[in-house]
Amino acid sequence: MTTSSASPKKAPGKAATRKRPTTGKRATVKKTPAVKPAAVLIVGAGFAGLGMAIRLKQAGIKDIVILERASAVGGTWRDNQYPGAACDIPSNLYSYSFAPNPNWSRSFSGSEEILGYIHHLVAEFELEPYIRFEKNVEDLSFDEKKGIWTATTDKGEQFAGRAAVMAQGPLSNCSFPAITGIEDFTGHKIHSARWDHEYDFTGKKVAVIGTGASGIQIIPELVKQAGHVKVFQRTPGWVMPRPDFATPAWNKKLFEKLPASQQAMRNLLYWSHESMALAVIWKSPLTRIAERVARLHLRRQVKDRWLRRQLTPDFTIGCKRVLVSNDYYPALQKDNAKLITWPIARLSEKGVRTVEGIEHQVDCIVFATGFDVSHSGTPFPVKGRDGRVLGEEWQGGAQAYKSINVSGYPNLFMTFGPNSGPGHNSALVYMESQLDYAVKGIEKILKDDLKMLDVKEDVQRRHNKAIQKRLARTNWNSGCKSWYLTDDGFNATMYPGFATQYAAQMAEFEERDYETV
Amino acid sequence: MASIDLDKMLTKIKSTQWALSDIDWDAPGAELITEEQWPKLKDFMADLMWIEHVGARAFAAMAKKAPTDTLRQIYTYFHAEEQRHANAEMALMKRWGMLEGDEIPEPNINLRLVIEWLDRYSDDMPVYVLGTVVPMLEIALDGALCTFLLETVKDPVCHQAFEKINDDESRHLGVGFSVMEMQGRGKTFIGATKMLAPLLDPRLMLGIASYVPLLNKMRDNIITMGLPEERLYAAMAKFEKIGGRTEDGRRNPWFQVIRQHAKLVVNRRNHVYHVPVDGMVKLTGLIPRRALPAVPSWVRELTYQPTA
Repeated sequence: MTTSSASPKKAPGKAATRKRPTTGKRATVKKTPAVKPAAVLIVGAGFAGLGMAIRLKQAGIKDIVILERASAVGGTWRDNQYPGAACDIPSNLYSYSFAPNPNWSRSFSGSEEILGYIHHLVAEFELEPYIRFEKNVEDLSFDEKKGIWTATTDKGEQFAGRAAVMAQGPLSNCSFPAITGIEDFTGHKIHSARWDHEYDFTGKKVAVIGTGASGIQIIPELVKQAGHVKVFQRTPGWVMPRPDFATPAWNKKLFEKLPASQQAMRNLLYWSHESMALAVIWKSPLTRIAERVARLHLRRQVKDRWLRRQLTPDFTIGCKRVLVSNDYYPALQKDNAKLITWPIARLSEKGVRTVEGIEHQVDCIVFATGFDVSHSGTPFPVKGRDGRVLGEEWQGGAQAYKSINVSGYPNLFMTFGPNSGPGHNSALVYMESQLDYAVKGIEKILKDDLKMLDVKEDVQRRHNKAIQKRLARTNWNSGCKSWYLTDDGFNATMYPGFATQYAAQMAEFEERDYETV
Repeated sequence: MASIDLDKMLTKIKSTQWALSDIDWDAPGAELITEEQWPKLKDFMADLMWIEHVGARAFAAMAKKAPTDTLRQIYTYFHAEEQRHANAEMALMKRWGMLEGDEIPEPNINLRLVIEWLDRYSDDMPVYVLGTVVPMLEIALDGALCTFLLETVKDPVCHQAFEKINDDESRHLGVGFSVMEMQGRGKTFIGATKMLAPLLDPRLMLGIASYVPLLNKMRDNIITMGLPEERLYAAMAKFEKIGGRTEDGRRNPWFQVIRQHAKLVVNRRNHVYHVPVDGMVKLTGLIPRRALPAVPSWVRELTYQPTA
């Protein structure tokens, strides 16, 4: 997994909530006696949920319950443990500023180390007592009279809170893609976000479908292990070089002894990523320069003209997620690897049939096909005032106020809600702004003993009008198809601006924007 | 031909895919190729296979330039389908014992030059140039050669393969002519003149210099194989008939260019055209193979094996 900014792979806060098949047996909801509400109910124990708990604790709010659907914390980073999984934002920026780690082993750490950092957060901030594992939320409803949110799990258990934080993460659910014939394939199938660590690739013929952020990290590792790897690509992405190196011991010592030096490094990384916004969010002369750097990277690593052509994107850089890798292109050129750009006609019993008429027979197919990102729904029913259901209101595309509150759903806060995704900077930078904003809102609810803190509808409408106007001028809306957009081309995912702008937007909690009861 | 709904066409293309493994390449019938046919057929099949490659490479270029996402996807499929045709034709050659080991048969020099040009310059050409030339090549060369093949070869496997290939080709032509009409729609004199501007591009001039002798060379090959050249001319006439059946089609200036050129090709008495062009064919025939650059690496994608 790659990312740290807005890629489907990384978004912090993964998931404590999985959408369950509606056709399956539903557990009978027990009629439990009224549940004593906590001050704050958090759904998800990934980066977002744990970060939320830390900031609440630091603000003196300790009556917290965190519901996690799995039996361990870590969210996205717990689930994405495929070979080569790493973050594509430097670790010194892809970590919380309120919990610096001087010991990152590399500039771009692997997922195992990032997961270790998350475990460290749990230990250092003593979060374990707040977490309820294996609580898979299936419903979140607001009781208007009491001003209470109640979460119901798939086992019928209920948990309540005066405020609720949806920190399940946007990239927490995945499934095999709907490719014709997928059920006919009798070999082994693995999804990148649910890696099968038991499967031995040695000597095996492997197909990898997908060349996005996860795919380009998995492929070099598989090429080292497998007998033969066929890479099926639909659209090539822009690949930038990755300045990855091991952190020298003196550097770790410096960061430990002099935390200001690590903060200075973080600032440097932050501003260098901020400058990338000019290249990847809007079309500017820097966009051309960024494309040129990527082309040079390709030219330097790939000598064959046709292969270069196959790997050259035909969309503006930034329109889809920008990839970073030093070993993807070389891996594709190994004797036991092959890039296939023919469209896939169908999967068959023994492999992948492509339109050039050939059946590529393999022992295993790795689906690096991303996540089930919902632009127009919620991972479980969320019911607000007057019986409204959020998924229904979002049918035409998700909308919120400052990405965090939705009118009609009082006392509810979201991490990585609509239009909060970064394309150029660390997702955790955005996350910190969201957490601190939520703390302000929750403090207000508790301090003033409010039943409802509900953003005004017209305020939300004006906010979204402005956001969509700004989005229209970005590279994301420049014509390519990406997971950022709905099928109709509506962008409910990305924030059209610098991280600094986003932080400024979240810095002020304007009480006048809210209706209070 | 009325314009077709390209979205529906894309759906149809996706739902009607076939693979080499759908055909039993070891089924009886290979023995129906006569000894007399065999050597001619070998050269013929090699050329046919390479003509598929011309179409494939042109579609690859058109996919990059397609004005809509639907058309981009269609051209991406057509690129792969042309490769499938070449693979199937190679499988027929293998079946008939015409391949030595895994070698890929050599094309004639004029095809080789066209492929070289396509590989170097086609990605830089406007889509309407290739969008007009490709239907002509498909209808004339592919069409005439396939007809001949099915008339003279009795092997049922060959008929089975070409039934599938021709189904694909009819869709390629349907889209091709429809796009030609789209590009002629509402064209004013000035707009049409602008579309002809690439004629001044030296890269396109090189392309024309490769295309023009190719048609005469293929005509000569057809005669050598015992096929009346009128078959080729009849196929070319179909281009004029279908491409020019609507006002929009006729308004596409590249249709007019290709049509006028076809008239020159068909008229053997036009010595002003044929003497120099035949001279070009002879001249290009003298180019030593080693003087040509290496074949593009995508040629190595060809295979006669249904599974890999």
